[in-house]
Amino acid sequence: MRRLLLTMAVLGGLGLAGAGAVVGLGLYNVSAQVGHLPGVSWVLHTTFRNSVRLRAPSMEDAPDLSDSDLIALGAGHYATACAMCHGTPATPRSATAQAMVPEPPAIAEAVEHWQPNELHWIVENGVKMTGMPAWPATGRGDEVWAVVAWLLAVQQNRAPVPPVDTSGADYCRTCHESPGGPVPRLDILAPAYIAAQLELYRTGSRPSGIMAQAASVVPRESFADLAAELGAKAADVAPDLPLTGEGAELASRGTRKVPACLSCHGDDRSKGPRLAGQPSPYLATQLRLWRDGTYTHDRLMVAAARDLSDADIEALSRYFGAQGE
Amino acid sequence: MAVKNFGQGTRCRPSRRHIGTLVSLLSVAGCGLHQSALNPAGRDATSISTLFWVMLAGAVVLWLLVNGAFFYMSRVRPGQFDQRYARHILIGGGIVLPVVVLTTLLVWGLSILPDPRRPGDGLVVRITGEQWWWRVEYWPEGAEDPILSANELRLPAGERTEIRLTSARVIHSFWVPALGGKMDMFPGRETMISLAPEKPGSYRGQCAEFCGASHAWMAFSAVVMDPGAFDTWLAAEAADATPPQDEAAVRGADLFLSEGCGACHTIRGTDAAGLVGPDLTHVGSRQTIGAGRLPATLDDIRLWLDHTEALKPEVKMPTYDLSPTELDDLAQYLEGLK
Repeated sequence: MRRLLLTMAVLGGLGLAGAGAVVGLGLYNVSAQVGHLPGVSWVLHTTFRNSVRLRAPSMEDAPDLSDSDLIALGAGHYATACAMCHGTPATPRSATAQAMVPEPPAIAEAVEHWQPNELHWIVENGVKMTGMPAWPATGRGDEVWAVVAWLLAVQQNRAPVPPVDTSGADYCRTCHESPGGPVPRLDILAPAYIAAQLELYRTGSRPSGIMAQAASVVPRESFADLAAELGAKAADVAPDLPLTGEGAELASRGTRKVPACLSCHGDDRSKGPRLAGQPSPYLATQLRLWRDGTYTHDRLMVAAARDLSDADIEALSRYFGAQGE
Repeated sequence: MAVKNFGQGTRCRPSRRHIGTLVSLLSVAGCGLHQSALNPAGRDATSISTLFWVMLAGAVVLWLLVNGAFFYMSRVRPGQFDQRYARHILIGGGIVLPVVVLTTLLVWGLSILPDPRRPGDGLVVRITGEQWWWRVEYWPEGAEDPILSANELRLPAGERTEIRLTSARVIHSFWVPALGGKMDMFPGRETMISLAPEKPGSYRGQCAEFCGASHAWMAFSAVVMDPGAFDTWLAAEAADATPPQDEAAVRGADLFLSEGCGACHTIRGTDAAGLVGPDLTHVGSRQTIGAGRLPATLDDIRLWLDHTEALKPEVKMPTYDLSPTELDDLAQYLEGLK
């Protein structure tokens, strides 16, 4: 018995010493040119596949993934965030990207054999030690569906080609030109407000993977100019909102739990951005993010949205959304 | 003051310590006369106070009797009693006397105890407990719409008013010790207490059920007025706010709307129509702001706007980021809402 224990202790000590030598003396060759030892790639890849399958979320919260607004949004994000490694259906991967270990598969090949919920998990979480990054904002699984929608379109060979020019206002217009669904209109927002939001996106105070990416690829100095070009012109005066329809009472008066939205989001003198005319799905998503505590960058909105019910959110986003039609 | 006395007492000789304690207790009682059940200002509170004093006097007499008997038997006449005599003492003093005394006290006590559900003379006040303030609605007899107010209860002297109570989220308790007993307020249920104040004056009410971080700061003034003065006041309370006159107050009124205060507060006669927080139509005429937190003076209103969350922990109203001039203007406007 004592001999057995002694043998095990000696073997354990030798093992630790060996591991220490590999780490401390740099004995393991990390060269990507050399690649993995035989069998290691298979172990890693199989682990990856099974790990994703085990953890993929249910499709319960998924929006309509065939929505063209959503697909366009995914394409816009893919252009600057993903295409550099995975290429696009129209452009091959760069030689450098192909030299990575593991090699990032070309997008058409990458999306094969995955279900939508599995793609969502991969895009949101990233994959350790592969170079595949996680979504650059936490709590924004809702945004990830846009990329998934575009990836499904790739699977079906009908994906719109992502924009090539990713500088200046044209890049913004990729998604904001024909706003709808989850994308807000900019032409009714005050330039100062837009510039402030870009800064919040850039620092991550207002969490959004898509807008954090966008605000990180356009120069910070150009925020004010972009906002002035895309935002509301001084001559535009917000029309008075008709006080009818579902949600009107809630917006103008509030309840004992919900403050009146229009006190801050009413006319041009108001503190908050104009909401009338924004797409309903965008407003509903933003209100949920406020209520559920994902957004914390404005204390007034945190307090205002705290007690919104799902029905309140539905009514309000319909009310403000209907003003644009 | 009271704490200081206790502190000094511990360093004094025993006899002086007792005097110190007594003085402290008296000074504590003296501090709270406008929130004291021992200083009744209404019929219900008077009953409670009478009950208290009678019970106290009875308790003192009984204490003297019991201890007197104990002293007699252990010191004055120690030794064995005759068995028949002892049995009479036990049955008489141990069973008959308590049954008679307690039954009498119970019957008398129940007969004078104020009935919280006694119908009033016409005016109904509905109060909703919020975290941490009071939503107050006056319903004069026959009224179809209430007169809205907050954080202050005004009552006509010599009349019985029904106070109907409920709560928004958690259990609170309504208590104006100088006017009557206390009554709990429950979400989704209406309770009632009727009060008949008699002595005009200002008394303090306090939430008497722990209801969250600022429970201790959930108070209000209960102002008892002569019936004529009350009617005049109620008519003024029902009216819209008077538009501000001087320049600072006009700027304050603009600020009130542009800062979005109207999302939560109503000032009747303006665009501010929010329902989340207290109605501020006549906030300047109230005795306190922040539900008894501070007196409603210009300086204190400004202090409140500048340090809301520090003055009332976990309050829903955020502290606004306003410049000193803006604070002045806004306070000027609110203080002027008489």
